[in-house]
Amino acid sequence: MSSLNNSESPDVTPAAAAPATPTHGYWTSLDELAPKAAAPEAAGEPVVDPLNRRNFMQLMGASMALAGVAGAGCKRYDREEIVPLSRRPEDMVPGVTQQFASAFEMGGVTNAVLITSYEGRPIKVDGNPEHPFAGGGVVAGTTRHAGSSVFAQGSILHLYDPERSQGVQQGGKGSTFADWQKQAGLMGLDPNWNGVRILAEASSSPTIAELRRRLQSQYPGATWYEWEPVSFDNERAGLRQAFGKPMRALAHLDRAEIIVSLDCDLFTEHPASAAYSRDFARSRKPDGGSLGPGKMNRLYAVESVYTHAGVVADHRLPLRSEHVLPFLQAIDAALGGGGGGGGEVVKEAKVDKFLKALIGDLQAARGAAVLVAGRKQPAAVHALVAKLNGQLGGALVSYYDDPEPTRLDHADGIAAVVRDLKANQVETLFILGGNPVYDAPADLDFAAALGQAKASVHLSEYVNETSAKTTWHVPKAHYLECWGDARTWDGTWTLQQPLILPLYGGVSTIEFVAQLLGETKSAEQLVREGVEAAGGQWRASVHDGYVAGSTWSPAQAAVGALPPVAFTGTPTSAGGNGTFEVTFSPSSTTWDGRFANNSWLQETPDFLTKVTWDNVALLAKDTADALHVHSQDMIRITVGDKKLEVAALVMPGQARGSVAVFLGGGRTKAGSVGNKGGEWKGGGWNTYALRTTAGLDIAVGAKVEKTGGTYIIATTQDHWDIRQGHALADEPITGVGDKGTRERMDRIVKETDLATYQGASYLAQQEEPYFHDHKHHRGYSTFEEHQYTGRKWAMAIDLGSCTGCNACMVACQSENNVPVVGKREVQRNREMHWIRIDRYFKGDVADPEVVSQPVACQHCENAPCEQVCPVGATLHSSEGLNEMVYNRCVGTRYCLNNCPYRVRRFNFLDFHKDLKDARNKVRRLLFNAEVTVRERGVMEKCTYCVQRIQSAKINAKNAHNRGPLPDGTITTACQAACPTEAIVFGDLSDPESRVSKLHGDRRQYELLSDLNDKPRTRFLARVRNPNPALATDAGAHGDH
Amino acid sequence: MASASEAHADDHGHGAENARETFRGITHDVTKVNLTPIGRWWYPAFGISLLLLGMLVVAVTHLFRTGIGIWGNNNIQGWAWDITNFVFWVGIGHAGTLISAVLYLFRQDWRTSINRSAEAMTIFAVACAGIFPILHTGRPWFAWWMIPHPNDMGMWPQFRSPLMWDVFAISTYATTSILFWYMGMVPDLATLRDKSKDKVRQVVYGLLSLGWRGSARQWHRYERAYLILAALSTPLVLSVHSVVSFDFATSQNPGWHTTILPPYFVAGAIFSGFAMVMTLMLPLRHVLGLKHIITQDHIHAMCKVTVATGTIVGGAYAIELFTAWYSGNLYEWFTFRNRILGPYAWAYFIMVSCNVIAPQFFWVKKFRSNLVFVWILCAFINVGMWFERFVIIVSSLARQALPGAWGYFEPTKWDFMTLAGSFGLFGTLFLLFVRFAPVVAMAEVKAVSPAAHAGKDDH
Repeated sequence: MSSLNNSESPDVTPAAAAPATPTHGYWTSLDELAPKAAAPEAAGEPVVDPLNRRNFMQLMGASMALAGVAGAGCKRYDREEIVPLSRRPEDMVPGVTQQFASAFEMGGVTNAVLITSYEGRPIKVDGNPEHPFAGGGVVAGTTRHAGSSVFAQGSILHLYDPERSQGVQQGGKGSTFADWQKQAGLMGLDPNWNGVRILAEASSSPTIAELRRRLQSQYPGATWYEWEPVSFDNERAGLRQAFGKPMRALAHLDRAEIIVSLDCDLFTEHPASAAYSRDFARSRKPDGGSLGPGKMNRLYAVESVYTHAGVVADHRLPLRSEHVLPFLQAIDAALGGGGGGGGEVVKEAKVDKFLKALIGDLQAARGAAVLVAGRKQPAAVHALVAKLNGQLGGALVSYYDDPEPTRLDHADGIAAVVRDLKANQVETLFILGGNPVYDAPADLDFAAALGQAKASVHLSEYVNETSAKTTWHVPKAHYLECWGDARTWDGTWTLQQPLILPLYGGVSTIEFVAQLLGETKSAEQLVREGVEAAGGQWRASVHDGYVAGSTWSPAQAAVGALPPVAFTGTPTSAGGNGTFEVTFSPSSTTWDGRFANNSWLQETPDFLTKVTWDNVALLAKDTADALHVHSQDMIRITVGDKKLEVAALVMPGQARGSVAVFLGGGRTKAGSVGNKGGEWKGGGWNTYALRTTAGLDIAVGAKVEKTGGTYIIATTQDHWDIRQGHALADEPITGVGDKGTRERMDRIVKETDLATYQGASYLAQQEEPYFHDHKHHRGYSTFEEHQYTGRKWAMAIDLGSCTGCNACMVACQSENNVPVVGKREVQRNREMHWIRIDRYFKGDVADPEVVSQPVACQHCENAPCEQVCPVGATLHSSEGLNEMVYNRCVGTRYCLNNCPYRVRRFNFLDFHKDLKDARNKVRRLLFNAEVTVRERGVMEKCTYCVQRIQSAKINAKNAHNRGPLPDGTITTACQAACPTEAIVFGDLSDPESRVSKLHGDRRQYELLSDLNDKPRTRFLARVRNPNPALATDAGAHGDH
Repeated sequence: MASASEAHADDHGHGAENARETFRGITHDVTKVNLTPIGRWWYPAFGISLLLLGMLVVAVTHLFRTGIGIWGNNNIQGWAWDITNFVFWVGIGHAGTLISAVLYLFRQDWRTSINRSAEAMTIFAVACAGIFPILHTGRPWFAWWMIPHPNDMGMWPQFRSPLMWDVFAISTYATTSILFWYMGMVPDLATLRDKSKDKVRQVVYGLLSLGWRGSARQWHRYERAYLILAALSTPLVLSVHSVVSFDFATSQNPGWHTTILPPYFVAGAIFSGFAMVMTLMLPLRHVLGLKHIITQDHIHAMCKVTVATGTIVGGAYAIELFTAWYSGNLYEWFTFRNRILGPYAWAYFIMVSCNVIAPQFFWVKKFRSNLVFVWILCAFINVGMWFERFVIIVSSLARQALPGAWGYFEPTKWDFMTLAGSFGLFGTLFLLFVRFAPVVAMAEVKAVSPAAHAGKDDH
């Protein structure tokens, strides 16, 4: 896993490497790649790639001709020529994957990643465990590990998206790079570039920052603004208030005993979410993780809409987002800071009780308590959080100077551009990435203002809404196609290494800006010079993925006097229509809309609503009842003069009077996947229509009304565990399903609290009451059971760590070539995910507890599926895997029916049908060559990533190591992706392996153990750490 | 009632001449269906059946081209209407064997008037059932892998799977039923051959009657063979539907995993089979003018069997429910509560109303004598028995152990077309049978008719 390869050869300089046009299909080595990728436009012609437009047309023509000749019913394989390489590139062995470190940046937030490449094709993204920020250290019970996110996992799908922009466009018509260069030169820019504006998406790249500085000194007339619809600039502004200069904060959750999440999605939205997820999980081990023996953290979440933090919180308080400020002021007052004290908001009995308990804990845990506020919260909250964190000891938060202190906050940046445009001060507007026509605040009317510029140029991966309105569109390269760099939240300089030539001839932002500046050096050279100028070792840095020693040192900063802030929001007592707040959050799947054309992500269910393909508005149960709104009703939300029609979903745990909407839907020029379609296609609604500069994250005074229409929402889990919360699965007569769920929940999801767990008698796995047999011991089977002499693969999943982030789902999809089925098929329960995350609510509909349970094939030793297959297509391996023989499967689906975990997935249709389209041929390059692509009519399911097991065994054999594989040699895709290390895989025959130890843990239990299937995957009971002062409130364990 | 009194009047007739007249009358009445132009009712009936059959062809073609996804089956409910239809048709097929074999062995002479058509119904129902195991596979072009065959890879079916047992049970049943039906038909085919006026019929019936001459030796061998086949078929009555029920009983799904299923399925199958026989026979005896052969007494007898088996089925429902509660198994008890109160409650109530409540009317002679009413009740029973299988299969699968994986099945138009199409296949085959084969076992009816006994007295 950790055998990083560095194919960048130091003695091949761009001059020395002859940029010969590759005669074979794909690029073969970075030697070849470097010079070509660096200056594709300088060569005068787009880079020849296997699927440029001309080849593509030939291909399509040929396919059609072939189809005509072959006729129907006569299936032939396409004629392909396989040309061997005349010399083998260094380190490249056919059929053996390689891994390269790179960086994936999204909205200025950087993920250090490790890319798996199969014969020149990047096929998989994972976290880079060697990276100091992504990997972190090692504590007891963990290994060096870097998880990833759904977005990092999904990002690779865009690389092979045939709908990515394939060429320069002028006024919507095809053009060429040469034309663009000629035109760009002739644009008649003023020598000082007066009237030139640049609107860039956020980037943490030091090279871009350097180019920007050069641009501004070279052309003082130009102004560079930054806009990012989802950013953490509220914190920047708040810390500016607190410290007098923009800063960023990084909390050290691994040392925190009390964590207070204020409307903050710690584990996905926060720029440091990778570190937060890992650190949180490490201080949450009931047996003693990073906090030492017997200690685990306690998480409080105060939020209007469920976040991943709310899922794992010990105590969660649903509170309107705008009420977080007075809530925080009340904490401030109690901790001796004086101030307003929260006023009416905290008078409510429930809030008051929660607040008192929280304050008690904070006071008791000074020095080990930390507060984190979310991106929606206004600057005042962030400033106050900084102050309180200082008062609580301050050691748990590091502050760093903002790398670009003079930059305008994003909301101000886009407003300034629009102001300049409207004042006719803009001759040429360069839009570097992003999609402001779609995602700019609605009141600015960016699309109209854009028309005021004489010329506008959009650098973008897709010809999107913005490209359609600009005079020029220039294709942007995917991040795996170009050199670049970025900084993680703690400043670690991370290098973005390309793995393939641009498939469609795009350029990177660095190349684009460099070209504007007349720079002749390649992007690689620019990055390299930057790194070397800072004292970094280039080759080692490329290999490791980061520049050693580049992590910032925390700055010393003291919180100054904060201006008193009076809460002027909606009072608690005002609950009627017209006083609602609307909160804007990025979608957990399409983010701000940039992943709209990503079918993997569109089909990934939201972590709590389980809604796929759409972004629905969430309402609390009593709010919905007051409005007579039911799930799947269309509602109209009005904020000021802005209106939005969107489907509603009644959400347990949503704050009263707070409507949550999610960004990233309703695209019109995203591509065939992401464009808003009909009810059966999904695509969601453009919620930016409601988002104005005044209410960028929280809008108040909103009115909600039913339109009378309905809309079918496709969810992957149809049930709610709350009687009145039944939304999608209607109970015609009584809540029998609800009752049935409640009575069995304590068998399916086992939970306990820390005190009980620490008692000596705690054992999660209980004897099943109706398997007391006088003759036989528990686990007696009438069948002759398998005997294992060698390795025994097994898995353990810690329910206490799972935040439900879905990274495992997308990782599995990517690793195992799992098809996407579309909204209609999801609605019919035909989604193909091999691992799903069940979520269950418990308790009060207004304030439930929730748990996420990842369920994949349990690899039962007495597998019920194996007994019933008439053709023996599902079998048991000698190492305990339950294996599928796709070739043998005739598709009776009996195995599916007999699987009590319902983890088997049937190919009801030919879900890869569209790959037959010549346009989609490129998408085949993404397939993991080690995993069969299943045809219609066969069953499939989790294999424990058997291809990884086999490959590890082969490697060990080749290395003449016939002994046991060292623990940790094999990681499954879901395990590798899990940011909280909740999934552990290994060999049970090795008593020292982590999984063996977890299988012997007191927390372990088998799911549905009464069936005696003996699953090889075991769950670890979730241990909560409730505050005794709130324990009765927490919903009485046992009241399921 | 008229035909019954006619038959009664025959009782008093004595003498060989009288018997000959009766036999001739039977021969005439039965063979005229095949040898003279059939009534006008046949053409629209056959047209509709052909239309439905065409629908099946379209549905199956689309199915083979596109995949199981055209139906509503899903990853929660791997089986739905496909297996519901399969079990429904297998069940229908049960009355045939029961009437032919079991009642024969028990010397229930009243069976003779209906056994031929009941056997035909069995075979056609088994044919309808038989297509579903193939249709329901994801890759039907490999369905033959379920049949053991030598191959160079040494691949064998997996004999622990009840689906394998199904393959053997159904194919054995189909083979035996066809043999039984055809062998029983030989003397009557010979009668048709002899009565045919045109060349084509004479040749075709001649070939089919296998050289039957009606000699004493042939009759002797025929009787022996019939008895042997009846004895062989009798266990099948119990085994076929028991094996079908194993598909469910041996699984570990709550709602399926119960030991009561085999007898319960067998009773249900006989129940539905008799209901189907009546559904077909009541109109047929009317349009074919066979009221004096298939008499009201026969209908009374069939109604009595129906109410008996229907009550057994009702008892099975109650025992199943009690056992689920008494077992203390959380999931089992929930499955039954969910059947009654959950999203499929409507199906459960259709099932109970049609299968338990409807046949109770047959206790009363007055209701049994109102043939329209009987026919309507039988139609209800057919619907109810289809829903019984739907409830067992679909509603049990909908909500298994993990609430995170609960679902709801919704049929598509292709599900409807396939179901309706299977009726088209059945109807087409049955109408062809009515048109071209002897619908009543003439030889047997003659043998048990009072006139035959009267004739015997003369010897």
